[in-house]
Amino acid sequence: MDDETDETITRIAAALRQLPPVDAAHKAQVLVAVAAERERAREARVRAARRWRLAGSIGVAAAAALVLVVWRRDAGAGRTAARTTGVVAQTTPASVGAPSPAPETTTQLAARDAAGVAPLPVQLVLHAPAAHRVSVVGDFNGWDTHANTLSRDAASGLWSATVALRPGRHVYAFIVDDSIWMRDPRMPQSRDADFGRPGSVLLVGHP
Amino acid sequence: MSRPPALQLIRPSAEAPSTGSAERSLLVRSAQAGDVRAFAALVDMYYARCLRFALHMLSNRSDAEEAVQDTFIRVYRALPSYVEQESFEPWLFRILANRCRSAGSRERRRAEFVEFGEVPDRASEHRHDDAIAWREEIALALATLPTEQREAFLLRHVEDLSYDDMSAATGAGVSALKMRVKRACDALRSWLTEERNGRRD
Repeated sequence: MDDETDETITRIAAALRQLPPVDAAHKAQVLVAVAAERERAREARVRAARRWRLAGSIGVAAAAALVLVVWRRDAGAGRTAARTTGVVAQTTPASVGAPSPAPETTTQLAARDAAGVAPLPVQLVLHAPAAHRVSVVGDFNGWDTHANTLSRDAASGLWSATVALRPGRHVYAFIVDDSIWMRDPRMPQSRDADFGRPGSVLLVGHP
Repeated sequence: MSRPPALQLIRPSAEAPSTGSAERSLLVRSAQAGDVRAFAALVDMYYARCLRFALHMLSNRSDAEEAVQDTFIRVYRALPSYVEQESFEPWLFRILANRCRSAGSRERRRAEFVEFGEVPDRASEHRHDDAIAWREEIALALATLPTEQREAFLLRHVEDLSYDDMSAATGAGVSALKMRVKRACDALRSWLTEERNGRRD
Protein backbone atom coordinates (compact mmCIF):
# COMPACT_ATOMS: atom_id res chain seq x y z
CA MET A 1 0.00 0.00 0.00
CA ASP A 2 1.70 3.18 -1.16
CA ASP A 3 0.99 6.67 -0.02
CA GLU A 4 -1.89 8.20 -1.86
CA THR A 5 -1.07 11.86 -1.87
CA ASP A 6 -3.36 14.25 -3.63
CA GLU A 7 -3.74 18.00 -3.61
CA THR A 8 -5.65 18.02 -0.32
CA ILE A 9 -3.06 15.96 1.55
CA THR A 10 -0.24 17.99 0.03
CA ARG A 11 -1.88 21.22 1.20
CA ILE A 12 -2.51 19.84 4.66
CA ALA A 13 1.06 18.63 4.99
CA ALA A 14 2.43 21.95 3.75
CA ALA A 15 0.44 23.85 6.37
CA LEU A 16 1.42 21.46 9.14
CA ARG A 17 5.10 21.67 8.23
CA GLN A 18 5.34 25.26 9.31
CA LEU A 19 7.66 25.40 12.26
CA PRO A 20 6.41 27.08 15.42
CA PRO A 21 8.36 29.96 16.92
CA VAL A 22 10.75 28.75 19.58
CA ASP A 23 11.43 30.63 22.77
CA ALA A 24 15.19 30.61 23.32
CA ALA A 25 14.57 30.48 27.08
CA HIS A 26 12.91 27.09 26.71
CA LYS A 27 15.92 25.69 24.88
CA ALA A 28 18.14 27.19 27.56
CA GLN A 29 16.10 25.41 30.23
CA VAL A 30 16.94 22.10 28.59
CA LEU A 31 20.63 22.89 28.68
CA VAL A 32 20.44 24.00 32.32
CA ALA A 33 18.80 20.70 33.21
CA VAL A 34 21.41 18.80 31.22
CA ALA A 35 24.20 20.68 32.99
CA ALA A 36 22.64 19.65 36.30
CA GLU A 37 22.52 16.04 35.08
CA ARG A 38 26.19 16.18 34.19
CA GLU A 39 27.06 17.57 37.58
CA ARG A 40 25.05 14.88 39.33
CA ALA A 41 26.79 12.21 37.28
CA ARG A 42 30.19 13.69 38.06
CA GLU A 43 29.42 13.78 41.78
CA ALA A 44 28.20 10.20 41.62
CA ARG A 45 31.47 9.14 40.01
CA VAL A 46 33.44 10.90 42.74
CA ARG A 47 31.37 9.23 45.44
CA ALA A 48 31.76 5.85 43.77
CA ALA A 49 35.53 6.32 43.60
CA ARG A 50 35.60 7.15 47.31
CA ARG A 51 33.53 4.09 48.10
CA TRP A 52 35.92 1.87 46.13
CA ARG A 53 38.85 3.42 47.92
CA LEU A 54 37.24 2.79 51.30
CA ALA A 55 36.31 -0.74 50.31
CA GLY A 56 39.89 -1.32 49.19
CA SER A 57 41.20 -0.08 52.53
CA ILE A 58 38.84 -2.30 54.43
CA GLY A 59 39.79 -5.26 52.25
CA VAL A 60 43.50 -4.75 52.81
CA ALA A 61 42.95 -4.27 56.52
CA ALA A 62 40.92 -7.47 56.66
CA ALA A 63 43.63 -9.35 54.77
CA ALA A 64 46.23 -7.99 57.14
CA ALA A 65 44.15 -9.05 60.11
CA LEU A 66 43.89 -12.54 58.64
CA VAL A 67 47.65 -12.68 58.22
CA LEU A 68 47.95 -11.49 61.77
CA VAL A 69 45.68 -14.21 63.11
CA VAL A 70 47.61 -16.91 61.27
CA TRP A 71 50.92 -15.47 62.43
CA ARG A 72 49.75 -15.23 66.03
CA ARG A 73 48.60 -18.81 65.93
CA ASP A 74 52.01 -19.85 64.67
CA ALA A 75 54.13 -17.62 66.87
CA GLY A 76 52.12 -17.39 70.09
CA ALA A 77 49.77 -14.60 71.10
CA GLY A 78 51.52 -13.14 74.14
CA ARG A 79 54.93 -12.68 72.42
CA THR A 80 53.74 -10.96 69.22
CA ALA A 81 50.87 -8.73 70.27
CA ALA A 82 52.83 -5.50 70.00
CA ARG A 83 54.25 -6.34 66.55
CA THR A 84 50.88 -7.32 65.04
CA THR A 85 49.29 -4.05 66.00
CA GLY A 86 52.08 -2.43 64.06
CA VAL A 87 51.39 -4.56 60.97
CA VAL A 88 47.79 -3.49 60.72
CA ALA A 89 48.58 0.12 61.40
CA GLN A 90 51.17 0.21 58.63
CA THR A 91 49.22 -1.75 56.03
CA THR A 92 46.06 0.30 56.00
CA PRO A 93 47.53 3.67 55.08
CA ALA A 94 49.97 2.09 52.66
CA SER A 95 47.09 0.71 50.61
CA VAL A 96 45.61 4.14 49.90
CA GLY A 97 48.82 6.06 49.52
CA ALA A 98 50.52 8.03 52.23
CA PRO A 99 49.28 11.56 51.39
CA SER A 100 45.58 10.60 51.34
CA PRO A 101 43.36 11.78 54.18
CA ALA A 102 41.74 9.23 56.42
CA PRO A 103 38.92 7.43 54.58
CA GLU A 104 35.40 8.51 55.39
CA THR A 105 33.32 6.23 57.50
CA THR A 106 30.31 4.53 55.96
CA THR A 107 28.10 6.83 58.02
CA GLN A 108 29.82 9.85 56.55
CA LEU A 109 29.50 8.41 53.06
CA ALA A 110 25.82 7.72 53.59
CA ALA A 111 25.34 11.28 54.78
CA ARG A 112 27.10 12.56 51.67
CA ASP A 113 24.96 10.32 49.48
CA ALA A 114 21.83 11.67 51.09
CA ALA A 115 23.03 15.21 50.66
CA GLY A 116 24.03 14.77 47.00
CA VAL A 117 24.68 18.05 45.26
CA ALA A 118 24.60 21.04 47.56
CA PRO A 119 21.18 22.72 47.57
CA LEU A 120 20.83 26.29 46.41
CA PRO A 121 18.55 28.97 47.85
CA VAL A 122 15.64 29.69 45.53
CA GLN A 123 13.01 32.32 46.24
CA LEU A 124 9.43 31.46 45.34
CA VAL A 125 7.00 34.34 45.03
CA LEU A 126 3.24 34.55 44.63
CA HIS A 127 1.11 37.65 44.29
CA ALA A 128 -1.96 37.02 46.42
CA PRO A 129 -2.93 40.20 48.29
CA ALA A 130 -6.22 38.76 49.55
CA ALA A 131 -4.72 35.55 50.92
CA HIS A 132 -4.38 34.90 54.64
CA ARG A 133 -1.90 32.06 54.41
CA VAL A 134 0.23 30.64 51.60
CA SER A 135 2.48 27.61 51.65
CA VAL A 136 4.41 25.82 48.96
CA VAL A 137 4.36 22.09 48.35
CA GLY A 138 6.61 20.18 46.01
CA ASP A 139 8.81 17.21 45.42
CA PHE A 140 11.49 18.94 47.50
CA ASN A 141 9.44 18.92 50.70
CA GLY A 142 7.43 15.74 50.24
CA TRP A 143 4.32 17.75 49.32
CA ASP A 144 4.00 18.70 52.96
CA THR A 145 1.65 21.66 53.29
CA HIS A 146 3.29 22.73 56.54
CA ALA A 147 6.92 22.45 55.52
CA ASN A 148 7.36 25.82 53.78
CA THR A 149 5.09 28.73 54.60
CA LEU A 150 5.44 31.96 52.66
CA SER A 151 5.80 35.37 54.30
CA ARG A 152 3.62 38.24 53.25
CA ASP A 153 4.73 41.70 52.29
CA ALA A 154 1.72 43.82 53.22
CA ALA A 155 2.57 46.70 50.92
CA SER A 156 2.88 44.70 47.73
CA GLY A 157 0.67 41.72 48.49
CA LEU A 158 3.55 39.44 47.56
CA TRP A 159 4.14 36.21 49.41
CA SER A 160 7.62 34.76 49.33
CA ALA A 161 9.71 31.97 50.75
CA THR A 162 13.23 30.85 50.13
CA VAL A 163 13.70 27.12 49.80
CA ALA A 164 16.87 25.11 49.38
CA LEU A 165 16.74 23.15 46.12
CA ARG A 166 19.29 20.86 44.57
CA PRO A 167 20.13 21.42 40.90
CA GLY A 168 17.65 19.67 38.67
CA ARG A 169 13.97 19.69 37.85
CA HIS A 170 11.39 20.34 40.54
CA VAL A 171 7.61 20.33 40.48
CA TYR A 172 5.71 22.44 42.97
CA ALA A 173 2.48 24.34 43.68
CA PHE A 174 1.12 26.84 46.15
CA ILE A 175 -1.60 26.22 48.74
CA VAL A 176 -3.58 29.37 49.43
CA ASP A 177 -5.59 29.64 52.65
CA ASP A 178 -5.15 25.91 53.21
CA SER A 179 -7.78 25.22 50.60
CA ILE A 180 -6.82 26.48 47.14
CA TRP A 181 -4.22 24.56 45.18
CA MET A 182 -2.63 26.68 42.47
CA ARG A 183 0.43 26.44 40.32
CA ASP A 184 2.94 29.24 40.00
CA PRO A 185 1.51 31.35 37.16
CA ARG A 186 4.98 32.61 36.23
CA MET A 187 6.42 29.18 35.49
CA PRO A 188 5.66 26.44 32.94
CA GLN A 189 2.93 24.05 33.90
CA SER A 190 3.88 20.48 34.70
CA ARG A 191 1.97 17.58 33.25
CA ASP A 192 3.18 15.17 35.87
CA ALA A 193 2.17 17.07 38.98
CA ASP A 194 1.57 14.71 41.83
CA PHE A 195 -1.98 14.09 43.03
CA GLY A 196 -3.28 14.91 39.54
CA ARG A 197 -3.28 18.60 40.30
CA PRO A 198 -1.58 21.32 38.33
CA GLY A 199 1.96 22.12 39.29
CA SER A 200 4.75 24.26 37.97
CA VAL A 201 8.17 23.22 36.80
CA LEU A 202 11.30 24.82 38.14
CA LEU A 203 14.72 23.98 36.77
CA VAL A 204 17.60 24.76 39.07
CA GLY A 205 20.99 25.01 37.45
CA HIS A 206 24.28 24.30 39.08
CA PRO A 207 26.22 27.39 40.18
CA MET B 1 -16.51 28.22 3.48
CA SER B 2 -13.74 30.28 2.01
CA ARG B 3 -11.18 28.76 -0.27
CA PRO B 4 -7.89 27.71 1.32
CA PRO B 5 -4.91 29.91 0.61
CA ALA B 6 -2.58 29.21 -2.22
CA LEU B 7 0.41 27.09 -1.39
CA GLN B 8 2.87 29.87 -2.06
CA LEU B 9 1.55 31.72 0.98
CA ILE B 10 3.41 29.24 3.12
CA ARG B 11 6.91 30.50 3.51
CA PRO B 12 9.60 28.03 2.60
CA SER B 13 11.82 29.63 5.23
CA ALA B 14 9.61 28.07 7.86
CA GLU B 15 11.04 24.70 6.97
CA ALA B 16 13.64 23.09 9.14
CA PRO B 17 17.17 23.81 8.05
CA SER B 18 18.59 20.85 6.22
CA THR B 19 21.51 19.20 7.93
CA GLY B 20 23.80 16.64 6.46
CA SER B 21 23.78 13.23 8.01
CA ALA B 22 27.57 13.39 8.41
CA GLU B 23 27.32 16.57 10.45
CA ARG B 24 24.52 15.07 12.52
CA SER B 25 26.50 11.88 13.17
CA LEU B 26 29.47 13.92 14.26
CA LEU B 27 27.33 15.93 16.65
CA VAL B 28 25.75 12.81 18.11
CA ARG B 29 29.14 11.15 18.59
CA SER B 30 30.55 14.29 20.21
CA ALA B 31 27.51 14.58 22.49
CA GLN B 32 27.95 10.93 23.45
CA ALA B 33 31.54 11.70 24.35
CA GLY B 34 30.33 14.42 26.72
CA ASP B 35 30.58 17.51 24.52
CA VAL B 36 27.82 19.77 25.81
CA ARG B 37 28.17 22.16 22.89
CA ALA B 38 27.44 19.31 20.50
CA PHE B 39 24.35 18.41 22.48
CA ALA B 40 23.29 22.08 22.45
CA ALA B 41 23.69 22.04 18.67
CA LEU B 42 21.42 18.98 18.48
CA VAL B 43 18.86 20.79 20.62
CA ASP B 44 19.08 23.77 18.29
CA MET B 45 18.75 21.52 15.28
CA TYR B 46 15.70 19.59 16.43
CA TYR B 47 13.86 21.70 19.00
CA ALA B 48 11.52 23.38 16.53
CA ARG B 49 10.68 20.12 14.75
CA CYS B 50 10.04 18.36 18.03
CA LEU B 51 7.87 21.23 19.21
CA ARG B 52 5.92 21.12 15.94
CA PHE B 53 5.26 17.42 16.37
CA ALA B 54 4.32 17.80 20.04
CA LEU B 55 1.99 20.72 19.29
CA HIS B 56 0.17 18.70 16.66
CA MET B 57 -0.03 15.71 18.95
CA LEU B 58 -1.08 17.53 22.12
CA SER B 59 -2.81 20.66 20.80
CA ASN B 60 -1.57 22.60 23.78
CA ARG B 61 1.45 24.83 23.94
CA SER B 62 2.57 24.33 27.54
CA ASP B 63 2.08 20.55 27.35
CA ALA B 64 4.05 20.47 24.12
CA GLU B 65 6.88 22.58 25.51
CA GLU B 66 7.17 20.34 28.53
CA ALA B 67 7.06 17.19 26.42
CA VAL B 68 9.87 18.50 24.24
CA GLN B 69 12.01 19.60 27.17
CA ASP B 70 11.53 16.24 28.86
CA THR B 71 12.36 14.51 25.60
CA PHE B 72 15.70 16.24 25.25
CA ILE B 73 16.60 15.49 28.85
CA ARG B 74 15.70 11.83 28.27
CA VAL B 75 17.73 11.86 25.07
CA TYR B 76 20.72 13.17 26.98
CA ARG B 77 20.35 10.46 29.62
CA ALA B 78 19.95 7.78 26.97
CA LEU B 79 22.81 8.92 24.74
CA PRO B 80 25.24 6.36 26.19
CA SER B 81 22.89 3.59 25.08
CA TYR B 82 22.40 5.00 21.59
CA VAL B 83 24.13 2.98 18.90
CA GLU B 84 24.95 4.58 15.63
CA GLN B 85 23.55 1.75 13.55
CA GLU B 86 20.19 3.22 14.48
CA SER B 87 19.23 6.48 12.79
CA PHE B 88 19.14 9.38 15.20
CA GLU B 89 15.89 10.93 14.02
CA PRO B 90 13.70 7.85 14.51
CA TRP B 91 15.36 7.32 17.88
CA LEU B 92 14.61 10.91 18.88
CA PHE B 93 11.04 10.74 17.62
CA ARG B 94 10.49 7.44 19.43
CA ILE B 95 11.30 9.14 22.72
CA LEU B 96 9.21 12.17 21.80
CA ALA B 97 6.24 10.12 20.60
CA ASN B 98 6.29 8.07 23.80
CA ARG B 99 6.34 11.25 25.84
CA CYS B 100 3.46 12.72 23.83
CA ARG B 101 1.44 9.52 24.16
CA SER B 102 1.82 9.52 27.90
CA ALA B 103 0.81 13.17 28.07
CA GLY B 104 -1.94 13.11 25.53
CA SER B 105 -5.12 11.78 26.99
CA ARG B 106 -7.99 13.45 25.22
CA GLU B 107 -9.86 14.21 28.41
CA ARG B 108 -7.05 16.35 29.67
CA ARG B 109 -6.55 18.19 26.45
CA ARG B 110 -7.90 21.67 26.59
CA ALA B 111 -9.85 23.21 23.77
CA GLU B 112 -6.98 25.26 22.56
CA PHE B 113 -5.85 25.38 19.00
CA VAL B 114 -2.37 25.70 17.82
CA GLU B 115 -1.57 29.02 16.28
CA PHE B 116 1.76 29.46 14.68
CA GLY B 117 3.34 30.23 11.38
CA GLU B 118 3.45 33.51 9.64
CA VAL B 119 1.59 34.95 6.75
CA PRO B 120 3.62 37.23 4.50
CA ASP B 121 3.01 40.92 5.07
CA ARG B 122 2.00 41.40 1.48
CA ALA B 123 -0.92 39.07 1.80
CA SER B 124 -4.24 40.78 1.63
CA GLU B 125 -6.49 40.80 4.67
CA HIS B 126 -8.79 38.39 2.90
CA ARG B 127 -5.99 35.94 2.22
CA HIS B 128 -4.72 36.35 5.80
CA ASP B 129 -8.11 35.30 7.12
CA ASP B 130 -8.11 32.39 4.70
CA ALA B 131 -4.74 31.20 5.93
CA ILE B 132 -5.81 31.25 9.56
CA ALA B 133 -9.12 29.59 8.78
CA TRP B 134 -7.33 26.90 6.80
CA ARG B 135 -4.90 26.17 9.62
CA GLU B 136 -7.74 26.03 12.13
CA GLU B 137 -9.64 23.65 9.90
CA ILE B 138 -6.62 21.40 9.69
CA ALA B 139 -6.04 21.58 13.42
CA LEU B 140 -9.63 20.59 14.01
CA ALA B 141 -9.47 17.79 11.49
CA LEU B 142 -6.20 16.50 12.91
CA ALA B 143 -7.64 16.52 16.43
CA THR B 144 -10.45 14.23 15.31
CA LEU B 145 -8.00 11.48 14.34
CA PRO B 146 -7.18 8.66 16.74
CA THR B 147 -3.78 9.18 18.33
CA GLU B 148 -2.09 6.39 16.37
CA GLN B 149 -3.33 7.71 13.03
CA ARG B 150 -2.40 11.28 13.88
CA GLU B 151 1.06 10.17 14.94
CA ALA B 152 1.57 8.10 11.79
CA PHE B 153 0.32 10.89 9.52
CA LEU B 154 2.61 13.46 11.13
CA LEU B 155 5.67 11.24 11.02
CA ARG B 156 5.07 10.39 7.37
CA HIS B 157 3.77 13.58 5.80
CA VAL B 158 5.15 16.28 8.09
CA GLU B 159 8.39 14.83 9.43
CA ASP B 160 9.08 12.95 6.18
CA LEU B 161 10.22 9.76 7.87
CA SER B 162 10.41 6.62 5.79
CA TYR B 163 8.16 3.75 6.81
CA ASP B 164 11.18 1.86 8.14
CA ASP B 165 12.13 4.83 10.29
CA MET B 166 8.51 5.21 11.40
CA SER B 167 8.54 1.59 12.41
CA ALA B 168 11.67 2.20 14.47
CA ALA B 169 10.07 5.26 16.02
CA THR B 170 6.73 3.73 16.88
CA GLY B 171 7.43 0.02 17.25
CA ALA B 172 4.58 -0.73 14.84
CA GLY B 173 4.99 -2.79 11.66
CA VAL B 174 5.32 -1.13 8.27
CA SER B 175 2.04 -2.50 6.94
CA ALA B 176 0.18 -1.34 10.04
CA LEU B 177 1.71 2.11 9.68
CA LYS B 178 0.74 2.31 6.00
CA MET B 179 -2.80 1.46 7.00
CA ARG B 180 -2.81 4.12 9.69
CA VAL B 181 -1.53 6.75 7.28
CA LYS B 182 -4.10 5.76 4.66
CA ARG B 183 -6.93 5.93 7.17
CA ALA B 184 -5.68 9.26 8.44
CA CYS B 185 -5.57 10.65 4.89
CA ASP B 186 -9.06 9.34 4.16
CA ALA B 187 -10.42 10.83 7.37
CA LEU B 188 -8.77 14.21 6.77
CA ARG B 189 -10.04 14.38 3.18
CA SER B 190 -13.51 13.46 4.30
CA TRP B 191 -13.56 15.88 7.22
CA LEU B 192 -12.28 18.79 5.19
CA THR B 193 -14.59 18.06 2.28
CA GLU B 194 -17.58 18.02 4.60
CA GLU B 195 -16.35 21.18 6.26
CA ARG B 196 -15.98 22.94 2.96
CA ASN B 197 -19.39 21.83 1.84
CA GLY B 198 -20.86 23.21 5.04
CA ARG B 199 -22.36 19.94 6.11
CA ARG B 200 -21.12 20.37 9.65
CA ASP B 201 -22.54 22.76 12.16
